[in-house]
Amino acid sequence: MSKQNRKFRARGAALAALAGLGLALTTLLLAASTVNVSETGSSLLYPLFNLWLPAFHRLHPNVRITTTSSGSGTGIAQAVAGVAQIGASDAYMSPAQMRQHADILNIPLAISMQMVNYNLPGLNQRHLKLSGPVLAGIYMGKIRNWNDGQIAQLNPGVRLPSHSIITIHRTDGSGDTFIFTQYLTFSTPAWKNQINFATTVSWPAAPGNIGAVGNPGMVDALKNNEYSIAYIGTSFESAIHKDRLGTALLKNRDGNFLLPTARTGKAAAAQMVSKTPKDERISLIFAPGRESYPIINYEYAIVSRRQPSAAMAAALRALFSWAISPAGGNAPRYMHRVNFVALPAPVVKLSQAQIAEIH
Amino acid sequence: MAAALAPISFPHPGRRALRRRLADFLGWGLCGLAFLLLGSATVWILVVIFLRGMSALHLNLLTQVTQGTAGGLLNAIEGTLVLALGGILLALPPGLATGIYLAEYDRGRLASIIRFLADVLVGVPSIVVGYFVYVAMVIAFGWGFSMAAGSVALAIIGLPYICRTSEMAIRQVPRSLRDAAFALGASDARVTFTISLPIALPGITTGILLALAIGVGETAPLIYTADWSNYLWTGHLTKEPIGYLTYVIYAFITQPFESAHALAYAAALLVTLFVLIIGVISRMLLVRSSRAL
Amino acid sequence: MLFRKLMAALASIVAIVLLILVGFLAIYAWPAIRFNGLHFLVKNNWSLGFLYSDPILRHGQQVMPGAHYGILFLIAGTLLSTAIAVLLAVPIGVGAALFLAEGVPALLRPWLSFFIELLAAIPSVVYGLWGLVVVIPFLGHHVFPAMQKWLGFIPFFRGPAGSGYGLLTSGLVLTLMIVPLITATLRDALVSQQSHLRDAALALGASRYEALWTVQLPGVRRVLIGSSILATGRALGETMAVLMVSGNALNVMPNNIYTTISTMASFIVSQLDSALTDPTGMAVKSLAEVALVLCLISIVVNSLARVLLLYQDRMTFGVI
Repeated sequence: MSKQNRKFRARGAALAALAGLGLALTTLLLAASTVNVSETGSSLLYPLFNLWLPAFHRLHPNVRITTTSSGSGTGIAQAVAGVAQIGASDAYMSPAQMRQHADILNIPLAISMQMVNYNLPGLNQRHLKLSGPVLAGIYMGKIRNWNDGQIAQLNPGVRLPSHSIITIHRTDGSGDTFIFTQYLTFSTPAWKNQINFATTVSWPAAPGNIGAVGNPGMVDALKNNEYSIAYIGTSFESAIHKDRLGTALLKNRDGNFLLPTARTGKAAAAQMVSKTPKDERISLIFAPGRESYPIINYEYAIVSRRQPSAAMAAALRALFSWAISPAGGNAPRYMHRVNFVALPAPVVKLSQAQIAEIH
Repeated sequence: MAAALAPISFPHPGRRALRRRLADFLGWGLCGLAFLLLGSATVWILVVIFLRGMSALHLNLLTQVTQGTAGGLLNAIEGTLVLALGGILLALPPGLATGIYLAEYDRGRLASIIRFLADVLVGVPSIVVGYFVYVAMVIAFGWGFSMAAGSVALAIIGLPYICRTSEMAIRQVPRSLRDAAFALGASDARVTFTISLPIALPGITTGILLALAIGVGETAPLIYTADWSNYLWTGHLTKEPIGYLTYVIYAFITQPFESAHALAYAAALLVTLFVLIIGVISRMLLVRSSRAL
Repeated sequence: MLFRKLMAALASIVAIVLLILVGFLAIYAWPAIRFNGLHFLVKNNWSLGFLYSDPILRHGQQVMPGAHYGILFLIAGTLLSTAIAVLLAVPIGVGAALFLAEGVPALLRPWLSFFIELLAAIPSVVYGLWGLVVVIPFLGHHVFPAMQKWLGFIPFFRGPAGSGYGLLTSGLVLTLMIVPLITATLRDALVSQQSHLRDAALALGASRYEALWTVQLPGVRRVLIGSSILATGRALGETMAVLMVSGNALNVMPNNIYTTISTMASFIVSQLDSALTDPTGMAVKSLAEVALVLCLISIVVNSLARVLLLYQDRMTFGVI
């Protein structure tokens, strides 16, 4: 190797080292000015959050948000432990949890809905009427046949098949299970006493029941099993239409049978506005009112009042304020994609008051 | 030798001989069938992964980070490599030292106990390791979801593999070479670093590659330790979640969007390709090292 | 000597890691172990209780009212899926090993073997993906209904055939994941076996296959048993693939081979989220107890295999 060559190499190495140092410094500076927010939790809120991200990122390029679909329980636990800044949850925190963690806020970001679907050959284009007690009976294995008297009573004039009912339920921990079992709990004393509500419940051993994983698994199991019934988040409505499966009219508290639509969802939310307390921890399931769809639910951001830095607090306030505003994250173009319902104006106000507490 | 020996054939194949021939035919047939069954399963899996993965493959995957459940996989690819290499970095010093100790100073009880425990550690399910790291490091130590927690989990899983492969590689170094070095007055460390390790290098590399492949393919121990991130890693060891490819496979396949499924298939293809390439390289290394000796 | 001591110290890290792992899990799960007692292993009622009520004191521990943790269904799901996998993997693995050891030209052997061992290299989650998008629809739509129809007279093959998720699907996927372990170890043992016994058999007039089956295979019996036990250990702890194809049943004892199941390993992943909603922490500690039980089972199984395999010290890619 010639001397010159070696010199050249040494200079090259020095240059490379300098460039590397410069790059490292820039990275550090960038890292200092950006805020890393991690969101983890509800798989129901996850698709919506992912629709929000690119839009919010354009407005606030210095806020980097990471989303994970880990489940509501994880969301709450990580937010409480400070591992994640935002815990997404389908359920508000329980009184026992609130006593342990007084610093935590439960802020609704949007409203989700759930449908009850079935696969009944010849009847999928008709909307069958079902009620909480009948669904509870079906899932408890007490109503075993589609032409059972209790179903027939709700659906006069419909020729129900004489075939046993296959119930499909979620087997992974899920907010869908939480709100469905809440509907059964609030409408049916027997269900309340025996099973109650949770993200995972011990399903009674109804004959021919099927466990499915995730909403896609529910759609799949429903499609593959004639005479089956399932509960599925409305973000999967297009899949239900595509596979020509049936959607039930559900009996609400006032005794009316309704489909999950933007209108009935809004009506139910409107009914619950006045009942929503300051800390917004309330179930919207089985709301009163003629036009109120019975299974709607606040999707919560679980977040701590006290943030480690002012920059983090500001980033979270900006994110939540944008997310709940009708011109931002609650705009129809986002709500439509996942069939969510925008927060009513008074609830937006309540949420804003809570958001202001983050510092 | 054996191939030259043909079975003795009887001049008059009786009923017994016929039955024996039939049994032979059936036996080989069943063995071939078993092989065919496994071979076709391999082909089936690879074809599915390659076909679906190829149609989802796109240059953007390598240049963009994930945006929600769309975008690219750059963050996941980077995270996978960072986690796997981090795991190896942590596992290599104790792993190699264990290998050296077991191979060179294999006397007494400690060596056999360690060897046995390393073998037992291989059998501990990866989810148990992950759960342990979650409870201990993520929660109790307050590391949060992080590269450090994920790498520790992968290190624990990779450690016994590195131990045992390096032990075997060093064991194959001819005793005479080391004895000669000792006779010349070389110290333990010198013999190890100038004789044993250089000769055993291909074997040791095989072990490292094996641990790398396992790290790249793992999911269960990372879900509750590394979590996931849409962004490139900024270099924080703790409190910053980090993405990885296998998460994309597991989580995105159950999302309601086509873009999510495409990413899952692409990630599956990348992970499989990576593992296969490592497999071929380490196989070649094995062949070469056994030829060298 | 210092160098040797240093190496010995570093080497003990392996032992320390294992001890800390088991010790930590045991200490962490201790309240659950005391609360659950024997109930844990023999009852079938994993339930988090009424999470929105106030915690109560039971057996000296803070728990939610109505909380029970019985994992008999997990033990059943784990053992049954593993049993199916091992029952299928042993004959298939032996057949393939015999074929690879004696049925193919020596020149082709490494490549054909590598092809089979690829199965061990493919990551668990990729098996899960394949199982989820390809195998489950195929089995659920075509194979299981047919099996129910034609094999329904056999106990446990009777319907309902379910949706494709479940015990048999898990068992089949596990089979593919553990079979290369048996094949690779056995093939190596057969190839490295000394040939004089086989030559003697051939000289006595045995056919190649007869020599293989009656002389060579019995010679590696210990390896076969050892590698089968190792494979059992692998199947017991397999997580992602089973998680994605088992159906994750809760509190259900399988009554036929199509029933959805959960295994201990997959249950930890699928239920940690729900367990975290328990403000008393008993659910998470009970999951730690599941991890501990699984860990102890794998330690016992692996120890057994290692004792049997003591003389067989070879590793192949992706397979130990």
